[in-house]
Amino acid sequence: MKLHLPPRVSPKQFQSAMTAFAGVVGKPWVMDTDADRDAYADTYAPGSTEEWPASAAVAPASVDEVRAIVRLANEHKVPLWPVARGKNLGYGTAAPRMEGTVVMDLGRMNKVLELDHKLAYCVVEPGVGFFDLYDQIQREKAPLWLSVPGNAWGSVLGNALEHGIGYTSYGLHARNLCGVEAVLPDGDLLRTGMGAMNNNPAFHLFPMSYGPTWDLAFSQSNLGIVTKAGVWLQPAPETSLEIIWDIPNAEDIGWVIDTITPLKISGLIDQNVFIPSWLGKMVLKGQRHDFWDKPSAIPEWRVEELLKQYKLGYWQVALRLYGEEPVVKARAEVVKAAMKRNLAAAPQEIWWRQGDPIGQYEVTMGVPSAVPLQMSDWVGGRGAHMGFSPVVPATGTHVLDQMRRSRKIIADFDVDFYASFTIGGRFANNVNMLMYDRDNAAEVAKMRKLFDALIVETAKAGYAEYRTHLGWMDPVMETFDFNNHALRRFDEKVKSALDPNGVIAPGKQGVWPANYANMRGSAYKGGQ
Amino acid sequence: MKRVILAAAAFALGAAAFAQAPTAPAAAPPGPPPMPPYMLRAKAPEGDRLQAGRDGQAVFEAQCGYCHLVGGMGTNLLTKQQMMAGNPPQQGLLTNRRDLTADYVKTVVRLGKGAMPQQTKVDITDAELDAVSKYLGKAG
Repeated sequence: MKLHLPPRVSPKQFQSAMTAFAGVVGKPWVMDTDADRDAYADTYAPGSTEEWPASAAVAPASVDEVRAIVRLANEHKVPLWPVARGKNLGYGTAAPRMEGTVVMDLGRMNKVLELDHKLAYCVVEPGVGFFDLYDQIQREKAPLWLSVPGNAWGSVLGNALEHGIGYTSYGLHARNLCGVEAVLPDGDLLRTGMGAMNNNPAFHLFPMSYGPTWDLAFSQSNLGIVTKAGVWLQPAPETSLEIIWDIPNAEDIGWVIDTITPLKISGLIDQNVFIPSWLGKMVLKGQRHDFWDKPSAIPEWRVEELLKQYKLGYWQVALRLYGEEPVVKARAEVVKAAMKRNLAAAPQEIWWRQGDPIGQYEVTMGVPSAVPLQMSDWVGGRGAHMGFSPVVPATGTHVLDQMRRSRKIIADFDVDFYASFTIGGRFANNVNMLMYDRDNAAEVAKMRKLFDALIVETAKAGYAEYRTHLGWMDPVMETFDFNNHALRRFDEKVKSALDPNGVIAPGKQGVWPANYANMRGSAYKGGQ
Repeated sequence: MKRVILAAAAFALGAAAFAQAPTAPAAAPPGPPPMPPYMLRAKAPEGDRLQAGRDGQAVFEAQCGYCHLVGGMGTNLLTKQQMMAGNPPQQGLLTNRRDLTADYVKTVVRLGKGAMPQQTKVDITDAELDAVSKYLGKAG
């Protein structure tokens, strides 16, 4: 990719910034060739990667190097886009929101600094991936389980900071963060919570600061660069029971939600309950053209045939309970009785006890996996995906309303409907997965228009997204409209005060520092 | 197609069994059998990641192993592709390939291919990639 300079930065100014960065990290860790820029482009870009082009990448190896780079970025007026491992697939990968921003790749900071077997937490740097942490836990034989996202190739901290979700009792990953160390936009270094005191052993144990609590102010944020944080882990349970129901019809999701949510809120179920539609199973069975050889959406009659042929329900609830065996048994009886009120068929039950092997695809037991990459293979070619991810109240009424709306919009665009709902408590995260071949320009254009329509129509109904791709950060922020966008006005007041040069992640989540305010919406082509 | 999928699944199972078999000592401590190799990678080799002469096998296992050791996603997808091309399933494992050149390995790593995203120099440095491409590039 050719060089795109940051706004108002001359080639000479840019070159002197690169030289200055190299003085901190060493020349090989300043990556500014055309090939380097391609390496940091969005792998699943819906359109040209040059819509979100990085000018270069810089890879510090320590907190001191991060601080030095941030100070130099201020001096040279060159903005930075920090990424942990840069594997935010479906949301922009490592690419920056504003053209010419320099990716700060924290992948070299990849130490597991602490792994506390008793208090069940770890302290990690941003470059630690889920596989790395998993391996460390196995090496130490620590009695601890991870909570992993669908694709565990990425960073533990990066995923938590982006509000990623997993499928265990610790599935709200941002909630597991406790005690953050962050480099501020002026290069200063902050520790939150009890870590604000030198050598306080409760740094990663008590989740609040004395006074305002800032930990999550660094999530989906451009207020600082997180250089380490505590992450709470689940103690490995004595036993676990997986109970699997195939739910026959699309509309059944209403009673399923109304059955499970009260049990989740009461604490009887402590897992994040993931309910994917049938296509989630099909992507593992082959490629799309094996089952439907036309570009049009798979029609209802064919869906019914496939469900019958592969013995799938429209949805699957694979619920997992954790704990001592008598407790799990008792909980299971309550859950099964509740489900039986609407579904006579007995569920499948799979017990696991300490000492039993754990399957390599058990994401509900915290086993990291890269299986979702296989989704790319479903459409063939350079397969890619984007997730449209609104949050709705966890009641049957709201969930059905949301499902019917997005299902109709997606059908109107003649695209396959692949949805999941994850019950995280009083809310459900709905992810509508849109899969496309990056080299099919017409398909990409259609997906972009579809994405626009989903945002607009869903906002009209009163729901918002929890996370989105670079290209839609501004439009989604626009949907948060209370009191003339008071949230964005506040975010930007804080941003501009802390970061007058706008050096950290300008435009992240639609929050622009004053000096780049004119860049808002500039990468958004309104579905073109 | 179905036959290929079944065969690929059988291969994956066979591979998992293979993964569990070899080095268990006679008086193995009680406990679950280990995960397949891609789940339990060795630590990345120590030393300067920018220096020539890295250990190609060790780097491959640590940096590429998530996907390309036995049982990994890349191995699964490649096994399927190889079988559809009429090749034996073992060809899905990159270390079994005799037809890869070092240059080809480098290109795929840096540009990505199919479901595989491109890899940055932080993921794998040029010196590490040199070593890995020599290790995998048995066709020269």
